[in-house]
Amino acid sequence: MSYLREIWNSRELLHNLTNREVRGKYRRTALGQLWSLANPVAAILIYTFIFSFIFRLPAQVGDPSGIDNYALWLVCGLLPWLFFNRVLTLGVDSLVANAGLIQKVYFPRIVLPLSLTNATFFTWLLEMGVLVVALSFLGSFVLPWLPLLAAFMVLFALFSVGLAMVLSIINVYFRDLSYLLTIVLQFWFYLTPILYPVELVANQSTSLGGLAGTPITLLDLYQLNPVEGFIEIFRNLLYDNRAPEAVTVWVALAWTVVAAVAGIWMYAQKEKELAELL
Amino acid sequence: MNDWAVRVDDVSKRFRLYHERNQTLKSAILRGKTSRHEDFWALENITFDVNQGNTHALIGSNGSGKSTLLKCLAKIYWPTKGTIDYRGRMASLLEVGSGFHLELSGRENIYLNGSILGMSKKEIDSKFDEIVDFSGVERFLDQPVKNYSSGMYVRLGFSIAIHVDPDILVVDEVLSVGDEEFQRKSFQKFLEFKKRGKTIILVTHTMQVVEDICDTATWINKGQLQSTGKAKDVVAQYKKSID
Repeated sequence: MSYLREIWNSRELLHNLTNREVRGKYRRTALGQLWSLANPVAAILIYTFIFSFIFRLPAQVGDPSGIDNYALWLVCGLLPWLFFNRVLTLGVDSLVANAGLIQKVYFPRIVLPLSLTNATFFTWLLEMGVLVVALSFLGSFVLPWLPLLAAFMVLFALFSVGLAMVLSIINVYFRDLSYLLTIVLQFWFYLTPILYPVELVANQSTSLGGLAGTPITLLDLYQLNPVEGFIEIFRNLLYDNRAPEAVTVWVALAWTVVAAVAGIWMYAQKEKELAELL
Repeated sequence: MNDWAVRVDDVSKRFRLYHERNQTLKSAILRGKTSRHEDFWALENITFDVNQGNTHALIGSNGSGKSTLLKCLAKIYWPTKGTIDYRGRMASLLEVGSGFHLELSGRENIYLNGSILGMSKKEIDSKFDEIVDFSGVERFLDQPVKNYSSGMYVRLGFSIAIHVDPDILVVDEVLSVGDEEFQRKSFQKFLEFKKRGKTIILVTHTMQVVEDICDTATWINKGQLQSTGKAKDVVAQYKKSID
């Protein structure tokens, strides 16, 4: 509890460090913050071309929104993933990269991954803003769902930062982790229904039946992935314009609590030793 | 004499000297054990008090453990055993300008660095002009600090740190930054600090400084407390030992 109070007390520092990340990042670039939109746009063009035009994935019609647009459907899942990806890849190095600071000044170390997540969240917010405008123009009545969307964005951010905090501490001991992570994230990306609908996995799963004589199906294993639920929630709200299923929400909530508690617990345990370990 | 500001109580600090440090997953998996190490006690059973308003010097030869002790006092290292208690707000000044973001302007860095050192935005606002004045970089305030000369960089960093205004200041040998004029100015600031009844703990190799401005001192050798007490007495003992 006293640790939580300490985090609360350093909120100004958190704010300033977040500013450092946001403002320092695109300094001296002509397009500035617009660059953060460049990556998603490039990804959307590539994936839409490949999966919608070449591979001809089945049409994704929003229920009940009725929109049918692969690019938009893709972005609703891709933007949360890109956020998750950035928080993890930047977060895993957040302690090692700031070793100089940690060894010279005392402050709650947890503000390092937190500020980074805040800055990344800010970028994500911009991207989602653009997406909401695009969705509204193309027939999705997304406005009533915005409060829920905001709540789930915060939830997903907590989940991501919790995981990033755990990874950042492990990375102090095993510096390989940041390299390993990029590979793991590649697998993770393709094992999450971002480019393709989860129904395709469900079809395969039913045709296979229970795996190795057990009642466990491929889909069960597939849905162990916590990000899968989050992506589903974001698509429900943005693309389909309906409330997500209660089970999905509860599972997402549980994962968030587990990740956040694990992250904070790790910092509370290890924070004092970090200066020596780095 | 019960009005201590900092109480160091039976502090020991152990470091692990790793023979084979397993910092990669491969080595952890291949060897199956985490690491092989040997304990090294950098500090052993150090106990002393620093009274409120005193300027206290930590002296000792290189590798004596005084920097480790300073880092413990600055809350960067945590003692393996024993405790350090403070009465009042502690701020440390081990390096100037750590945490500056090179692409950000001097102005932005004052806020960033100030908050890293524990100042609130309100405090920084109220001291902003003083900080700028003292550092003498007002003309370049809106330039990114990467364009600063090393002297300007250090002066700005020092100026922020000295304006944190803690009750207890823990300083490494940073008083020797900048040119002669700036050094005189910072020394003045230091004395002013002392006059206002603040507690200062510093590490130095210059015995003249200890004799001139310190009230009390602690001499550490090879992690052991040699003596602690009046600055003059401790310096005399220390000098005798190295002669």
